[in-house]
Amino acid sequence: MSLRTLLARWYGVAAVGMRRTLARTTHTARQRVRFSVLGVAVAITLLLVVTGIGMGLTGGTTVQDDGIDYWIVPESGGSSSPLVSTDAPQFGSVHETAETIRATEGVDSVSPVLSQVLRVSSAESTEYVLVVGIVNDGGVDQISGVNVTGLSHHDPYYNDGEWTGEVALSRSAGATLDATEGDQLTIGGNTSFAVTSVDGDTSSAVGDVPTAVVQLSELQTLTGATAHDSADQFVVGTNDPAVRADLEDVYPSSTVNSRSEMTASQTMDSDLSVALALTAFVVAISIGTLFVVTTMGLELVADRTQLATMSAIGLSSRTQLGIIAVQILATTAIGGIVGAIGGLAGIRLTNELAMRTLTSEPIAFSHPIFGLYGVVVAVLIGICSLPVLLLVTRRVTGGVPQ
Amino acid sequence: MAVRSGSQRDSPPPIARADGVTKRYRRGSEPGRVGRLFGRSTPPEVTALEDVSLAIGSNEIVGLAGPSGSGKSTLLHLLAGLELPSEGTVTFQGTDLGTLSTRKRTRLRLEHVGIVFQHFHLLDSLSARGNVALPLVELGVSKSERRHRATELLERVGLEDRVTHRPGELSGGEQQRVAIARALVTDPTLVIADEPTGELDTETGLTVLEQFERVADDRAVVLASHDQPTLDIADRVVRLRDGRIDEEATARAPSGTET
Repeated sequence: MSLRTLLARWYGVAAVGMRRTLARTTHTARQRVRFSVLGVAVAITLLLVVTGIGMGLTGGTTVQDDGIDYWIVPESGGSSSPLVSTDAPQFGSVHETAETIRATEGVDSVSPVLSQVLRVSSAESTEYVLVVGIVNDGGVDQISGVNVTGLSHHDPYYNDGEWTGEVALSRSAGATLDATEGDQLTIGGNTSFAVTSVDGDTSSAVGDVPTAVVQLSELQTLTGATAHDSADQFVVGTNDPAVRADLEDVYPSSTVNSRSEMTASQTMDSDLSVALALTAFVVAISIGTLFVVTTMGLELVADRTQLATMSAIGLSSRTQLGIIAVQILATTAIGGIVGAIGGLAGIRLTNELAMRTLTSEPIAFSHPIFGLYGVVVAVLIGICSLPVLLLVTRRVTGGVPQ
Repeated sequence: MAVRSGSQRDSPPPIARADGVTKRYRRGSEPGRVGRLFGRSTPPEVTALEDVSLAIGSNEIVGLAGPSGSGKSTLLHLLAGLELPSEGTVTFQGTDLGTLSTRKRTRLRLEHVGIVFQHFHLLDSLSARGNVALPLVELGVSKSERRHRATELLERVGLEDRVTHRPGELSGGEQQRVAIARALVTDPTLVIADEPTGELDTETGLTVLEQFERVADDRAVVLASHDQPTLDIADRVVRLRDGRIDEEATARAPSGTET
């Protein structure tokens, strides 16, 4: 058989499989096929919702914004991630070091970052909020999704002893504390803070932790970190990749992470979200495969007369298996598309319900690529179902059509 | 109904031949190992055909007559290679079908045998053209050629305005004509038809028979029927009774008629 004939044959097989799937879904075997599609769709919907929630748990806890390209973090043998560290080693003499880094050619902006969860009170309420101390040198507009342009430059309390009491709140912190611009706040027992802004990038607000950004030296004063001028990490903005080598020499025991490394670290360090996403994947594949094998298996047995007819008119087992394989994959792909739409809608519904009952911000992450992910997993379900279903096809085909 | 001349009946060699063919079926399934452990016995056999010999020459129409259960359909299935005999041999163009694998028998049907079933057995999810073109997929015929040949055959059986209709949207007679077109699409040397007018009213049945006469011009046709007008188109009629050829009744029947 020539290549051209072979291609024409397999093109024909694919076309017949697709036509049979579409006709059976919309006309001739609607109920049975729709049941298979529904099974896959439900599995994919649950997969996407759980994955979205898992990814939502990861987001919003890192000092990651558009203007930041490198993170310098202490080398740590412990289990703490380089995100918001709580028990990790800290850098010392950070103001001095920040000046040194700023003097490096190619560096646009730099700030030491100290993070602490502190009790913050407004006139309306008291909450625990992530308080981030930075040195605003004007190079970065946002830190942790909080607009910091309202903070005075170059940490006046450290340089001149002038206490600013400035605090920029994220939208979630503003909502949690019911605070607006100009309101007085008490942070860690110190009553002298005033809100300069309540703003930030809402697109990064998924799983948003209520955050307050203050001057670094003022946070050091609140937390007792002034003795060694300590901070957890440095964030550096630059357009020059060659800067990385210089940054690696700043501290002898430090690690420099790029944006992509930080994202990977962020995801991998969040064990819970990875575990959730992985569990959802395995469960979706298992449940989906079992469902497809059962429903499509019954469908094949019901279809045995048509399979026998194919044999009677001369279609080989290989061609019949090809047609059935295309039908199975097409059916699961349709289920994947329906499931992807359901999953994205489910994430939206989850966020809506959560914001009405539990939180002030969305808890599940959503991205258009989830749709593609859903379809790919659905096709994987189809592939996992193929061996059993092709075996069933072999068993039921042949003989005389009854 | 025109009666064809029986002059071709001596034309050697035969396209298909059954020699001393016996076919037995079991009533129910064989007991497995567990079944035997629990004392389940092998179900009794029923003989559908016994010691039947028949030769089908090229260019002849052979009618199989007989009451229900006489073995007409079984003989057709054996001639088409859908089943194998319990005893005896069925040869097609000199090849013993019993020596061929299932795959080779399927291929033989694809290339040389067209089958028309009583209940049409069209694929309900494909259009009339899709059903007719289906065997050509196996042969690796290009899409344009498939469409062209299928459309041409549908026009030949008078269904040019039903090309894109699915079987559910066609009448019984139209479905049977689609089945005839499908049986002819690979230009087979033997066409087998099991009660081709059994599901049709008289008028539609006559239309279908006209199609059969037209297509039988250059190929052998074996058709089984109870129906006298259907058997009238045959060059000769073989009458079966209780799984055997009723020699007396067959001999009594003049060419093109039935006893």
